[in-house]
Amino acid sequence: MENLEGLKLMAEQWSNQGIEYLQKIPPFQLYAAIGLLLLTTVLLLSFRLVRRTKSNTVLLSGLSGSGKTVLFYQLRDGSSHQGSVTSMEPNEGTFVFHSEHAKKGKIKHVHLVDVPGHSRLRPKLEEFLPQAAAIVFVVDALEFLPNCRAASEYLYDILTNANVVKKKIPVLLCCNKTDKLTAHTKEFIKKQMEKEIEKLRASRSAVSTADIANDYTIGIQGEVFSFSHCCNRVTVAEASGLIGETVQVQDFIREYI
Amino acid sequence: MLEQLLIFTRGGLILWTCKELGKALKGSPIDTLIRSCLLEERSGEVSFNYEAYTLKWTFHNDLGLVFVAVYQRILHLLYVDDLLSMVKESFSEIYDPKRMSYGDFDETFRQLRMEAEARGEELRKVKVVSSVKKQGQVSKSGLDGGIKSGGGGSKKDDGDGDKDKVGSLMTNGNHKDDDKTDLANGKENTADNVVLDPSKLMKLRSKGVRGRGGVRKTDSIGNKSSKVSAAEPPKKATKKNRVWDDAAPKQVKLDFTDSVGENGNGNHDHVDIAAADQGESMMDKEEVFSSDDESEDDDDDEPRSDEKKPEAKKKGWFSSVFQSITGKANLERTDLEPALKALKERLMTKNVAEEIAEKLCESVEASLEGKKLASFTRISSTVQGAMEDALIRILTPRRSIDIMRDVHAAKEQRRPYVVVFVGVNGVGKSTNLAKVAYWLQQHKVSVMMAACDTFRSGAVEQLRTHARRLQIPIFEKGYEKDPAVVAKEAIQEATRNGSDVVLVDTAGRMQDNEPLMRALSKLINLNKPDLVLFVGEALVGNDAVDQLSKFNQKLSDLSNSGTTRLIDGILLTKFDTIDDKVGAALSMVYISGAPVMFVGCGQSYTDLKKLNVKAIVKTLLK
Repeated sequence: MENLEGLKLMAEQWSNQGIEYLQKIPPFQLYAAIGLLLLTTVLLLSFRLVRRTKSNTVLLSGLSGSGKTVLFYQLRDGSSHQGSVTSMEPNEGTFVFHSEHAKKGKIKHVHLVDVPGHSRLRPKLEEFLPQAAAIVFVVDALEFLPNCRAASEYLYDILTNANVVKKKIPVLLCCNKTDKLTAHTKEFIKKQMEKEIEKLRASRSAVSTADIANDYTIGIQGEVFSFSHCCNRVTVAEASGLIGETVQVQDFIREYI
Repeated sequence: MLEQLLIFTRGGLILWTCKELGKALKGSPIDTLIRSCLLEERSGEVSFNYEAYTLKWTFHNDLGLVFVAVYQRILHLLYVDDLLSMVKESFSEIYDPKRMSYGDFDETFRQLRMEAEARGEELRKVKVVSSVKKQGQVSKSGLDGGIKSGGGGSKKDDGDGDKDKVGSLMTNGNHKDDDKTDLANGKENTADNVVLDPSKLMKLRSKGVRGRGGVRKTDSIGNKSSKVSAAEPPKKATKKNRVWDDAAPKQVKLDFTDSVGENGNGNHDHVDIAAADQGESMMDKEEVFSSDDESEDDDDDEPRSDEKKPEAKKKGWFSSVFQSITGKANLERTDLEPALKALKERLMTKNVAEEIAEKLCESVEASLEGKKLASFTRISSTVQGAMEDALIRILTPRRSIDIMRDVHAAKEQRRPYVVVFVGVNGVGKSTNLAKVAYWLQQHKVSVMMAACDTFRSGAVEQLRTHARRLQIPIFEKGYEKDPAVVAKEAIQEATRNGSDVVLVDTAGRMQDNEPLMRALSKLINLNKPDLVLFVGEALVGNDAVDQLSKFNQKLSDLSNSGTTRLIDGILLTKFDTIDDKVGAALSMVYISGAPVMFVGCGQSYTDLKKLNVKAIVKTLLK
């Protein structure tokens, strides 16, 4: 108790001293200091606001085994190194594309995030969606038909996500592994995905909106679904992670970053 | 010999493989390891078996690296754990996040390997003496367990596991297992091997005709014949002895069920038609989140656990506070132990089965050991965060549980979608079957019920009443009929009728009851349902583990075709009777790998919900 009282007394003394000191400073300096402080805070806030609208994050998503990690390393280093296994954690990096190293001039860095495709790690995608400026949805063109349903469900979940719809985030449907002979063409894949999403639309809208965790529905009522019905741009491209054929993906990313 | 040794990052990039052992691996063992073991929170296990290979692994949590060694299963290499830890140490010295290729590591690896092999040779000579003693123990525990699991497979694994454990003296994380196997009684040992081994679960799924043949033999050997003879007479005896006043007319009325017709709607119009529409099923309602504190308040937990170990806790708390500010400490096993122990206790008070809680804590420990503490975080909050991640990962379904989509897919193929409800006695199969029917009906799906519970008195009437209230057709053949045949005819009827979904109700049965399990397996094999739903009550404690594993075991052993059907989904019932002791959901999902598709939370038609993963995890860790 005595300690507390002693401390209180000391605190009072200090505050008195502080007030006296403040009163000694000429008022002009005081106002100038306060004004400067306010100005800097306002400037910082405005900078943050301005910067926020121009995010440079691109997400690489897709089913497990579609080739996202290989694509990530191709874009970053120009080679897939020694191969990859199922990712357990996201790969992130902020860089300029490997093929753009030779270019001169100021090129904006891209913050590329490779989100694991395994269904148990699906919640990780939701962590990154708010900051995304563009999404690349990678599909395995080789083993497309067995995984068609799962891929379309994933794509449907992305396209109906609140962040994606509100900010109109553009999506690229990237058909990977096109270097193989039996890989499907991007037109075929696009049509199949549209058909599957049409079926999903029918079954999901039959259930009430609170049941399935889809925030919005897509497409126009009464018409067969097509990617042109989405309010955000959905384009299709081909790529091959193994041989390094990633030009179309890079063009897509550079359109928006 | 060692087949392959890989080093890769947690993000999936392979950093180094041994070029000397350049043999290509058959299949994709690494991917399977990741998907069925590491991502399933079983990283605390010792090894993983995949076809002809055995895999062992270790983590370097600080740098985010995984080291995996693959070798032939029939060989018992003693030096693998040793080698893995040495490789881990030497690689972490040369690791650089910017570097992608580590060609110079080949030389180091070759030396390490020779060292490890030499040490292994020495150990083997020492081990020969002690193995004779261990063999006696192992065979005894194998027989004691008495669980039939695919012939001699598990006994062999038992022996392997023990030998490995004895041989590898200098391994991290094996000390605990050693103590456990020494002290464990035979049942726990074999239970561990049979039940919680993910490779066993995979083997169960891929078992073919061979498994059935092997089990038939052990069937006769086992002491189940006594159970069979004990089960049969009481059934017949009690049925005959039951003399109630209205027994005679009831039995007579039973005969009438055939003539009334298959639709229960008949001429009995004193039906409560109004009751059929009780409003929206709770499946369609949004979850109302309680506005409790969202952030985990660790400070509240500190005084609680302080009561148990005041002194040790105080010291630990103070030093952890100090460490949390500097944030430089590497997490050691000893640091994690108290936090993990407290967490395990907390999980167990929430009705999580003891073995599951243990396995989970081991897995979290494996993923946190050696990691650097971020500054200004306490050890307990790091552990809490890791456990939360692990729980969310386990409870998130591995495949989509969108039943409506499956129903539509089956509709396109012009066949009904068949769901079979299985479970032990008294968990609420018939009640929840009616709830699911109500929900499906609300979404314009035509449902048909099949009364394949031909044993329990009143089961058929119960379903008939539900069918009348919901105005849906029911297929029944009365009592004392073969459920498999009844189900088959019900499905044929549904195809004729054009019903979208057939819900098959079966009799409750204990997981140890051999003839009943055989009957169930026959039903499933004959009818090949689209969804096998295990109905379990949320009140069950440690028995959940036993129930699910034995059901899965029996279903796979007694299947006679190439494709083994295991439990595809779980329906958790009586959820309203438990306040916050929600651990049964976790135990069931962990043990079977099947997602929880529905949650029954009351006794009226609308009381059917979906599992809210975040809410459950929050309740478990509160």
